[in-house]
Amino acid sequence: MFDLLKDFWLLFGRLFPFPTRPGLRKAGNPDRSSPVLVTCNFELTVRKVIQALERDHIDAWVLVAPTKGINVWCAAGGGHFTTDTVVSILKTSGIENLVDHRRIILPQLSAVGVNIWALKDRTGWTPHFGPVDINHLAAYLTGGEYRAERRHRRVEFPLKERFIMGTNLAFNSLVFLIVPFLVASIWVTGLWWKSIALLFLLGVLNSVLVLWLPGNPGVRKGFSLGLLASAVFVVMAQTAWTMEPAATLGWTGWIVLLSTYLGYDMPSWSPLWRADVKELVTGVKHTHVEVVPERCIGCGLCTIVCPASVFELNPEMKISRVVHLEACQACGACIENCPKEAIDNNFRAGVCSCPTCTVINSVKSHKRKDAERNGGETEPVAAAGCCESGDCESGEIECSQHQWIPDNVI
Amino acid sequence: MSTLVYMRMLEQTPTKYDRGMRILTFGCIDRIKREIASTWIEPGQDVLEIGCGTGSLAALMTRRGARVLGIDISENMLAAARSNAPDAEFIHMTATEINKLGEDRFDRIVATLSFSELSEDELDLVLRVSSVLLKRRGKLVVADEVPPSRWWRRVLARLVRWPLASLTFLLTQNTTRALKMYDIRVERAGFRIVHHKVHLLGTLALIVAENTNDS
Repeated sequence: MFDLLKDFWLLFGRLFPFPTRPGLRKAGNPDRSSPVLVTCNFELTVRKVIQALERDHIDAWVLVAPTKGINVWCAAGGGHFTTDTVVSILKTSGIENLVDHRRIILPQLSAVGVNIWALKDRTGWTPHFGPVDINHLAAYLTGGEYRAERRHRRVEFPLKERFIMGTNLAFNSLVFLIVPFLVASIWVTGLWWKSIALLFLLGVLNSVLVLWLPGNPGVRKGFSLGLLASAVFVVMAQTAWTMEPAATLGWTGWIVLLSTYLGYDMPSWSPLWRADVKELVTGVKHTHVEVVPERCIGCGLCTIVCPASVFELNPEMKISRVVHLEACQACGACIENCPKEAIDNNFRAGVCSCPTCTVINSVKSHKRKDAERNGGETEPVAAAGCCESGDCESGEIECSQHQWIPDNVI
Repeated sequence: MSTLVYMRMLEQTPTKYDRGMRILTFGCIDRIKREIASTWIEPGQDVLEIGCGTGSLAALMTRRGARVLGIDISENMLAAARSNAPDAEFIHMTATEINKLGEDRFDRIVATLSFSELSEDELDLVLRVSSVLLKRRGKLVVADEVPPSRWWRRVLARLVRWPLASLTFLLTQNTTRALKMYDIRVERAGFRIVHHKVHLLGTLALIVAENTNDS
C-alpha cells in the first residue's frame, strides 16, 4: 500500500524532493576495475539508474550523492549537486578502497553545478561527464574510452516524457486552481470536477503536442491548443450533446483560458525551453553566449557539457564557436566548466538559469571560490587540449594535468 | 505558477536563513550562541566553526578573544560571514574535507545547526576527523535539533513543529532536520559528553564533548 502511494506520488509529484539514503550502491557484481558512477539521491532517479544498469548487464559502483532529494539537473542548478557534493560522497563512501582506478563518471547534466577541474584538484579523481541519459551508458562505456556520441549529449523530450510531464503540469496547476474551481462551483454546479478533468486533458495535450502546436512556446502555444480544443468541443456540443448556445460559449471561453494558463507554464516543465517566469525575474530576454577566441584553448569541454549542442569545436583552429545560439537554455554548464573563462554571456550574475527554474545561487561564482582558496590568485588551469596540440610541450602553456584530456566528442 | 514555487523552494539567502532559524527555535538559537561564546570559549583559543553560516557565532567568539576559522559550502553565507565577523577567517570547504586542516590544531570545534544538514555517513566521518583535529582535552561544542527523549514530548514536538516548519519553509525556504542518535555517534568517535542541556521541550540540544583520544 505504502509503495503504491509512493509510486503515485513519484508520478505526479516530481516537482518535490524525495530523498533516499545517500551512499554506495552496487549494480550487478562490481569488482576493482568496474566503473564508478555518481548520481543524485532523488529516489526515482536512483531506482531508474540501477534498473537501467542491471538491464544492460553493466557491473558498476553507484555513488548516491546527498543532493537533498532533488533530481540531477535541478540540484546542480540549485546548488545542491556541486563540486562539494561529489567531494563529500567520494570521501564518505570509501570507494577509494574498493577500486584500483581513479575515474568517476558524472551525469552530464550535473555540469551546471560541478566543476571538473576543481573536483580533480581537490580529490585526485579524474572526472568524466557521462551521457545525459543513463540508457546510453552502455554505448558510452564501450571500449573503455568513456566517449559519448554527440546525439547522446543532447537533452531530448520524447513522447513518454512529454506525457508524464503533462500529468505533472496539470497536477501542480491544480494545487493553485482547486480553490477557484470550488468557489466557481457555487454558481455553476459540477464545475469543479469537470474543470479538473479538463485540466488534466489540456495539460497532457499541451505537453504531448507541444512540438507541433503553432506559435512560440508558452502562452501562444497554449492559446493555439485552446482554440483547437474549443473548436472540437463546439462541434461535439452542437451535434452529439445538444448543449445550449450560451453554455457552449461559456465552456469554450473556459477551455481557451485554462489551455492558455497551462501553456504559460509548459516551457518550465520541458527540458527544451526556458521558463517564461524566469525572463520576468531575470529580465534577460535573449540569451547570449559567445566564445572569446583569444581566451579559448580548444579543450572542447563546452561541446561536451552543453545539453543543447550550442557549441562546435573547429579542429583546425583548435577553438570552440557558437553554432546554435537559438537552442541555448542558459543552464550555465559551459561557463561553470570552461577552464579559461572564455565564454562571454549576459546571464545575470548569481542567477542560475537552469531551464526549468530560476535559482539564486552561487554556482557561477566557483571561479571566485577557487581564487579565494588559493589566496586571491586564480590558479592557472592547464589547457585540456594542450597535450593534444603540443602546446604544453612547446612551453607555450603550462600544463599541470599533462596526462588528462577530458573525454572528447566523437 | 508551479515553477515559481519550485524556484522559491530552491532559493536561499543568508538573511532569510537567519530569520528562518530564529522562527524555528523561538529565538532560542541566539541565546545558545551567546552561551557558547561566553561559557565554552576562552580568550586566545583556536576555534574551528563547521558551517559558519552568516557568521553570527563567529563574531561573538572573536569578540571574546578567540581565533576563529569558519568553514561553509555556501559562497553567499561566506560573504555574509566575512562582513559580520571581520576578525575571523573564513574559507570555502565541505565538512568532510576538514582533515586537510591538520592535526592537534584546535581547542574547540563548534557547530550550530549544521551537523543536522549532513548525511549520516558524513556526520560519522566529520566526528572521527574532529577528534584528530582537536588538541587533547579539546572540546566539541554542538547545538542542534534533536528528537526529544520522552515519548509524550516527541508527540508534542511533532504537533507544534509541523505547522511551524511549514510556515517557516514558506516564509524563508529553510528548514532543519533532527540529529538522530547524536550521543552514541559522538561517543563512538572518541568523545566523552561533559555537558548536555536541552531547550524547547527537548528539541534543541547543546552538547559539549571532550576529546579522549590520544593523538
